[in-house]
Amino acid sequence: MIQTIVYGFTIGAILYFFSIGLALTFGTMHIINFAHGMVYALGVYLFISFLKALGNSFLLSLAASVIVMLPVAYIVERFVIRRLYGESLDYAIIATYGVLLIGTDLIKLVWGTTPYPVNDPIGLAVPLAGLDLPFYRILIVISAVLLFLALRLFFKRSIIGQIVIAALEDSDGVRCLGLDVNRYFSIIFVLGSALAVLGGILYAPISTAEPYMGFHILLLAFAVVIVGGMGNINGTFAAAMVLGMVMAVTGRIWSQAATTMVFVVMALVLIFRPMESD
Amino acid sequence: MLEISDLHVAYGHAQVIHGLNLVLRPGEMVFIVGRNGAGKTTLLKTIAGLIQPAKGEIRFEGRAVAGEPPERLARAGFRFVAQDKKVFSNLSVRANIALAAHGSGTPIEEAWSKAIQLYPKLEEFRALPAGRLSGGQREILLIGRALVGAPRLLLIDEPTEGLAAIVIEDIFRILNGMRHTLSFIIVEQNLSVVTRLADRIYVMKEGQIIREIADRSEIADTAQLETYL
Ligand SMILES: Nc1ncnc2c1ncn2[C@@H]1O[C@H](COP(=O)(O)OP(=O)(O)O)[C@@H](O)[C@H]1O
Ligand SMILES: [Mg+2]
Repeated sequence: MIQTIVYGFTIGAILYFFSIGLALTFGTMHIINFAHGMVYALGVYLFISFLKALGNSFLLSLAASVIVMLPVAYIVERFVIRRLYGESLDYAIIATYGVLLIGTDLIKLVWGTTPYPVNDPIGLAVPLAGLDLPFYRILIVISAVLLFLALRLFFKRSIIGQIVIAALEDSDGVRCLGLDVNRYFSIIFVLGSALAVLGGILYAPISTAEPYMGFHILLLAFAVVIVGGMGNINGTFAAAMVLGMVMAVTGRIWSQAATTMVFVVMALVLIFRPMESD
Repeated sequence: MLEISDLHVAYGHAQVIHGLNLVLRPGEMVFIVGRNGAGKTTLLKTIAGLIQPAKGEIRFEGRAVAGEPPERLARAGFRFVAQDKKVFSNLSVRANIALAAHGSGTPIEEAWSKAIQLYPKLEEFRALPAGRLSGGQREILLIGRALVGAPRLLLIDEPTEGLAAIVIEDIFRILNGMRHTLSFIIVEQNLSVVTRLADRIYVMKEGQIIREIADRSEIADTAQLETYL
């Protein structure tokens, strides 16, 4: 049971790393960004190559891949996303889906289609209640909690964070104060992309890298964003943890139904959540 | 200071403003009255840069500004207070002002003390999420937010709509205190406010200005103005 709980929080943590960027992009720019899955998968594959090149140093390779992905994310924002502001949702879906497909094919071209396993960089187990819990998973959960706290601080205390909070509510109002919201959206977009890459890399040792990994997590993350309240920063964290737990618990009872159950919960939330009122 | 000529604005295929002309002189407080759906909000949003006109010219101090983005116009001194009284409700009252200070490159302390001067009660609400303010206080915060920096042109959409009589007088006093320090275009349906403050009135109907009222006695003639609402 404890093992299931730890697994649930681990999945929740990874979902949070991935979903926060998606939620912010949706909340601020009103864009459903499939390209997030591309950034995530490409980041992980780069990481695998860096591991080889940098003598298996986990931290160095992690830093290198995140740094390389920053300009990639910026290019996606500047040349795809920014052209979609104010356009209909369908355009954004089609364009960013295109980016995801291109990324996936690029991965197949460069790295092939065979899944890559990544070793647990720590390999320690923590004995707890007669069980050996992998320390690495606990570390993932801790980093997600730290990220949550750091982001809370960022949004509460920094002027950039406050501008984004304001823009989530009324981006016209922000612009009319002389603030160029696009600049702040770019920053948030790149930050969200970096966090997705980070999440993907943290997840790699307990999963396997495969070209369609971006598609798979995207579907789950959409559920997180919807359950979390479409751009609600605290809600995204809560939703990621709850849905991660739903997956872990369902997976233990009936593993084939784990993903389906996430969408069942999402549907229930959509049906029963009171309509938002002003 | 502001000249609008032959302005056409449409939402998709639905044209809402049809060849509108308007002039605003420096230091003037001009009111726009007209029925719901006449296009008053659309006009203010277009001037503020939030809507792109389909055709026509907007000149600000001789410079053609139609189609410029709102953040650029804001830096030129345009301020828009929207009809919905939407403050940044999750931010504190002070953070609302701080954002305006950041946008206009004004020191926060200076912006805050200006807001307090406008409405001393804001000091009490300083740390409160702005969404918890009453409608009247929100409107005052929005006006305070608009005054941060170096505003030149204030566009205010129905500032007294939905407010109680006492609060309307607060807003009236605030607007009255700012007369002739800036230029104003104010959309307003409360004729008591309009007649006491207006230098001139434009009557809007179906996307056009159908009358300009500049004569003092006509401005004071609420019975006649009533017929345009
Ligand atoms: N976002 C919009 N999309 C389509 N039509 C709109 C939109 N906003 C306003 N309209 C229409 O434009 C007309 C003018 O609206 P508005 O400018 O809000 O008038 P007013 O402020 O004078 O009441 C109305 O017929 C309204 O239905
Ligand atoms: Mg209106």
